[in-house]
Amino acid sequence: MTEMQVDIEQQKQLAFYMDMLGHDILNSNQAVLGYLELILSTSITDKAVRKYVEKAVSHIRTSTILIENIKRLMAAREADPNSFKPADLMAAILRSERELRRHYPDKKVSLSISPRIDEAYVLGDSAAENLIFNLMVSIVGLDRNEEIELSLMLKEIDCGGRMCWSMTVEDPNARLPPAMKDKSIDAVYQQDGSTAVKMAGLLFVKMMAVSLGGDFDAHQLGKTEDEGSTFVLVLRKAGKP
Amino acid sequence: MTSVLIVDDELFIVELYRDILQLRGYRVVGTAFDGEEALRKYGNSADKPDVIIMDHRMPVMNGVDATKEIIKLNPNQKVIFVSADVLVEKEARDAGAVEFLPKPFRMDDLIEKMEKISNLR
Repeated sequence: MTEMQVDIEQQKQLAFYMDMLGHDILNSNQAVLGYLELILSTSITDKAVRKYVEKAVSHIRTSTILIENIKRLMAAREADPNSFKPADLMAAILRSERELRRHYPDKKVSLSISPRIDEAYVLGDSAAENLIFNLMVSIVGLDRNEEIELSLMLKEIDCGGRMCWSMTVEDPNARLPPAMKDKSIDAVYQQDGSTAVKMAGLLFVKMMAVSLGGDFDAHQLGKTEDEGSTFVLVLRKAGKP
Repeated sequence: MTSVLIVDDELFIVELYRDILQLRGYRVVGTAFDGEEALRKYGNSADKPDVIIMDHRMPVMNGVDATKEIIKLNPNQKVIFVSADVLVEKEARDAGAVEFLPKPFRMDDLIEKMEKISNLR
């Protein structure tokens, strides 16, 4: 067996183990989520206890997303970029807004979109839709407030000779780690392991955006981390399906 | 009262569905831990369940194959397919499942689908 064949076999074996582990973790998450929902459906009178349970629900959902992201990244690595189908950008944004309320039952999240565009399609099918949801989840996770107001702006741009949609999300309270003040996401991840763990969601967004032919980065809005953050996702424009 | 057969190889998942469905007023008429056991119990039961909740990745016989066999026995049988493998949805629907839920799902979503099927009866 050649070195390359050994490498391929090892990758297949790793993918198999990851798949099995992911499957079992999702099953465990199902049980925890189910019983937490059962507790929430009973008449909990203590507001603090309800809040604790809601926080646990958020964490289980985050754990689920992390596992699903690993699966998606592994699938995206093997996909042919030319085979990506269009995804409706506005529909994905509106669906993400609704899903955020489920994901963070203990927070009140509002999203203002400007401009609202009837037809905006990007390449990437369900992977692009999922990417937008992941971005929103990551941003809310960086905001310590209970009431969160996000501003989302859309515009068409030229990205390396291709037309793309650029989606900028600003959160005046989302705090990026200080290391990200003047560095790109990938540079920070390679430099500081603790930051990488804290912001795995953003790293996923970056990796998936690049694998779909786009890009992603995040920066502080002002000079200090207290002044909020801006997140820019670029995805390749697609025609109407 | 809507009757249910639960098929999943994980005991803790079977217990979860049973606990919640019973609390919500459903009648759990049986459980099975693989597709073959589900098929055997289904074939032997005089009182067929209104709904089968079917997992996919199980030993002996998987959920898609079990669904195909059950639908052969009774084309009107309602199967809600639940799986952590989202890529199996098309296969499950082609096999005859009327609904699909990716794990982990909200139990309210399962109940909603159960009610939808109950109302069709």
